Amino acid sequence: MKNFWHNITSGLKDIYDVFTLELYRIFTDGGVMLIFFVGSLLYPLIFGAIYKHECIRNLPVAVVDDSQSAPSQRFIHELDATPEVNVNYHCNTLSEAETLMRQRKVNGIVYFPNDYSDRLAKGETARLCLFCDMSSFLYYRSVFTGASSVMLDEMKHIELERYAMAGVTGQDAETAITPVPYEDVKLFSPAGGFTSFLVPALLALVIHQTMFLGIGILSGTAREEGQTVAIVPERLRNRSVYRVVIGRSLAYLMIYIPLVAIDLVLLPRVFGLPHIGRLDDLCLFFLPFLLATIAFSMTVGSFVRQRDTGIIVCIFFSVVLLFLSGVVWPRSNMPLFWKYFSYLFPSTHGIQGFIRINSMGAHLKQVQFEYQMLWVQSGLYFLITCLLYRVKFFKYEDRAVCI
Amino acid sequence: MKHLWNCFCRELGLIKESPRYLILLTAGILFSYVFFLTFMHEGQPENLPIAVVDQDGSYLSRRLCHEIDATQGVDVVAVYNSHSEAREAMQRQEIFAFLDIPAGTYSEVLDFKTPHLALYSNNAYLLAGTLSYKTLSTIGKLTSAAVQREVMRKKGYSEDQIMGMIQPIEIDAHLISNPWGSYLPYVLTTMLPGIIGVMALLLTVYLVTNEYKLKTEKIWLSTAGDNMLNALIGKLLPYTCWFTLIGIIGNIVMFGFSHFVCLGSFFALSVALLLFVMAMQAMGVFLAGLIPDQHLAVSVAAIYGMLSFSMSGFSYPVVSMSPALQAFSYVFPLRHYYLTYADVAMFGATFTQYWSHLCLLLCFLMAGCIGGMLLNRWAKSNSNDAAIEC
Repeated sequence: MKNFWHNITSGLKDIYDVFTLELYRIFTDGGVMLIFFVGSLLYPLIFGAIYKHECIRNLPVAVVDDSQSAPSQRFIHELDATPEVNVNYHCNTLSEAETLMRQRKVNGIVYFPNDYSDRLAKGETARLCLFCDMSSFLYYRSVFTGASSVMLDEMKHIELERYAMAGVTGQDAETAITPVPYEDVKLFSPAGGFTSFLVPALLALVIHQTMFLGIGILSGTAREEGQTVAIVPERLRNRSVYRVVIGRSLAYLMIYIPLVAIDLVLLPRVFGLPHIGRLDDLCLFFLPFLLATIAFSMTVGSFVRQRDTGIIVCIFFSVVLLFLSGVVWPRSNMPLFWKYFSYLFPSTHGIQGFIRINSMGAHLKQVQFEYQMLWVQSGLYFLITCLLYRVKFFKYEDRAVCI
Repeated sequence: MKHLWNCFCRELGLIKESPRYLILLTAGILFSYVFFLTFMHEGQPENLPIAVVDQDGSYLSRRLCHEIDATQGVDVVAVYNSHSEAREAMQRQEIFAFLDIPAGTYSEVLDFKTPHLALYSNNAYLLAGTLSYKTLSTIGKLTSAAVQREVMRKKGYSEDQIMGMIQPIEIDAHLISNPWGSYLPYVLTTMLPGIIGVMALLLTVYLVTNEYKLKTEKIWLSTAGDNMLNALIGKLLPYTCWFTLIGIIGNIVMFGFSHFVCLGSFFALSVALLLFVMAMQAMGVFLAGLIPDQHLAVSVAAIYGMLSFSMSGFSYPVVSMSPALQAFSYVFPLRHYYLTYADVAMFGATFTQYWSHLCLLLCFLMAGCIGGMLLNRWAKSNSNDAAIEC
């Protein structure tokens, strides 16, 4: 029994020593401080500033009206009045508008053929042409949404006229035009904006990546300075590796708890992003997310032999991880291989879970899969890290391991 | 010229000695190409999972389910009895949208009353939510049109008249240079060269500061005849060639094998790529000159490099950013590469239209020169220190 208590107290003391040593290393390394504190706080602010406006408003378009008729002019006026586009140029020919498009002065062209009003007068289907700038999807989305909303409005107007000619008016005509109306409800981001969709994902990714990068740099620096994987107190050599791993993890955890509170709880409220999640669910979810990220970073970190390799690996993976998380490209449409590949990274589940709890108001029950996967990852990567450290401590036994 | 050549040969020797970095970076770049080309091979997501909440359980609601299932864009994966079940499924991310058919819809249609359908889409996932919404709203319109057509047929209208009544206006959309509305050319054409550029930037910062860290800057400079410009060009030229070559091969894969549209000259695009790589390297030299500490310099370069993707404006247009950020976007070479790409490949522009972007890319070389001057000063002060110590 006495032995048992001795083990516990010495274990706790060792963990505490490693913990303080790791904190000392973090706070004396300018690069790591930059990544941990400046990076994790500056990036969200920059992203918040870049993606400040949810939607694109008043995109310049050119119109070419070969029909020169009342219906086409009405269409143009209504188009100009939509929030999405502004009719900045009225051109005489299509080639004139094309030149404007090539000069990038407009992002779309609306063309009315000369039979536009004739066809409407005859009661046939009139056609108008829309040319969209595809250099960015948001241009296309705005131009297309603007034109289709005017089209739907105009259609209703014309249909009412035609029914009136056939002798159907009032409520009867309304019912005849839309016998089964539908209303659309855009859940979780009513504006349908880019900001509410991308920035929460980026915030979670920033936490993951800065931690990954910081730990990678620390491991790389230790290796460059001739240590094994981490600098550990002398008396811990070849003894209970888990004390080293737990001690280091606690140091990172302590630093990241306030950072997560700022980035993932405070900033969505400051930026006016969706934040309908319950705080207790969020906190319960962040714990395995942080632990899994720490364990994952330490596992990968033990392969990093030089400080700057860590940076390059991290940078390179940032973009890949954003896509693997399934925020941009839906999970259901990922090739199977990449889907399972994405399970390797805590960011995948972290981002998914965070968005669903924070932006979609899900409870832990609905993110059960992600939650469990993060715990599994934490355990697994923790064990792998211990194993790797063990092997390395044996392999480099003769190397100086000092305080 | 001889000195430059000497410096070039020295760098090749260094690469031969420890090719680890170059291999790592090249492997990373190749991985990104393979990853992105296979990851989104569909171009536009198809068969997105959606659900129907069928509270009506009628002939009409069943038929609607089948019609929806038959469209290319979505796939009905579940039929729920209540709205809350569907919402929970959405929160579990099993579905991206659902159509709510209230009880009594069919009988109301038969009675010439107006039943209301409701369409819910998940906008927290923009692409999937928007696409499934688009498909479902088409179905919604078609439902009305189908009922309308039946009524008018019974009233004795001709098919042409019916079409004119149902659809008085039609939009014929032309998506310039991306007729499929595919996601691939939109993301990859800028992002993949961007990754190459960021790699070139980081490598440049690392290599230049490494000379100072290992205190080999004197040997390096003397190989180049004590001329910093020669030394930098000689040192960075092998990487310029290598990264540009990979970029051009990548463009051949994208525009050749994957059939992305390139209306203008491929040569112009390659020149832009070369200038882009050089601009990123010049920024690397600038940062290395500005921050003598290697670790800090690489960290700062990493932060700057990562911002290139957002600031290039290929996903979120720069015109929607605040004026200060719009001005800031000029210091990112990827922005100018993206603009050149859009001009050349999407609009088939001629040199008179895109020359300004190329000129701006060339301007970055000035930053490289400033960085060179700073590096020169470091080298001199280092040798002075060494002399004092002696």
